[in-house]
Amino acid sequence: MPFVAGLAASHAPNILLDPGPEWEEFMSLHYRMAPEAAGAKPSLEAQQRLRRDAEKAFSVLRSDLRAARPDVLVVVANDQFVNFFFDNIPTFFVTLADEVRGRFTRHEFHYRNHPELGRAILEAGVAAGLDLSFGEDVELQHTQTVPLHFLLPEAEVPILPIFVNTWIEPLPTPARCYALGRLIRQVADEASARVAMLATGGLSHFPGSPRIGEIDTRFDEDLLRRMRAGQGPALAELTLEQLRQSGNSEFLNWMVTVGAVSDAPASETFYMPDHVATGWGFASWRL
Amino acid sequence: MSRYHLNRFLFDLKMDPDALSRARTDLDQALSGYDLDAEEEAAIRTGDPKRLRPLGAHGMLALYLMRLDPEFDDNIYWTQK
Repeated sequence: MPFVAGLAASHAPNILLDPGPEWEEFMSLHYRMAPEAAGAKPSLEAQQRLRRDAEKAFSVLRSDLRAARPDVLVVVANDQFVNFFFDNIPTFFVTLADEVRGRFTRHEFHYRNHPELGRAILEAGVAAGLDLSFGEDVELQHTQTVPLHFLLPEAEVPILPIFVNTWIEPLPTPARCYALGRLIRQVADEASARVAMLATGGLSHFPGSPRIGEIDTRFDEDLLRRMRAGQGPALAELTLEQLRQSGNSEFLNWMVTVGAVSDAPASETFYMPDHVATGWGFASWRL
Repeated sequence: MSRYHLNRFLFDLKMDPDALSRARTDLDQALSGYDLDAEEEAAIRTGDPKRLRPLGAHGMLALYLMRLDPEFDDNIYWTQK
């Protein structure tokens, strides 16, 4: 069966916060870390507009996902010190659990996992010289739950979380992530299940860095333009330094989906910088 | 190895409710469980996450020092990971 859909979406926590007091309380920590950003704090009306725009983007992605009728949704995201610490940092990690759970504020998440596809990817990776880490004890975090809240709220489809190290040097190259996407595409095309993929993260943001609060909107918009133009193979030539300088290390997650869709142009993209932390980006490939 | 312990302390504030409780109750005692040098301990006691970054704290962990700040004691931020 084919690889049936590619999606990518930001996982910024403030996407899922209610505009108003909840947003302000949560972001008060961010403003302590980035006092310069506090000067650009969005008004309540601006927060509401951002939420509406994000929901519109997610509604398109959700509609595309449903139309693709997937049997499994591969979710490519990064850990942020929930499942992994400096004891052991995998570059790529495939989840082999039977089920996965997580929590985001008042929202609870519980999904069936798809270990059969995970094992097929692991075995294909070994054969292709792309050896991946794996394990069964995984907790979902905002990097998965924020977009899943909008895209798969009923948990009617099992997921397969795959983690990419986007935060602790040394990072994998964009080309390596692209190659992982090609590998998953190959496995999906030979699988009995209909496979869709969601990459999460980005776009430009600098959490925990001296540049926290900056957003490189020009770089973000160029990434989205190139995806609409079907320039996936060329995006694999991006350097890590380009991604670091633009606050786009999480675009490495997106590069896995870009590898899976290769030169297929993105059908839709959306972009809305939140002005204080992150360039919210979204893309869908109807295949 | 000290940088590991600085990050470990912050990771435990994030992930281990018992470790967080111990640090809130008796910071001196809690810090004694980690192999930290004097500069790192002093930076932790300032309560300022930005002081930890130059000492090797990961940017995604440094902010968890604010779990010890009474102003952010029950902030909604801590109800997600």
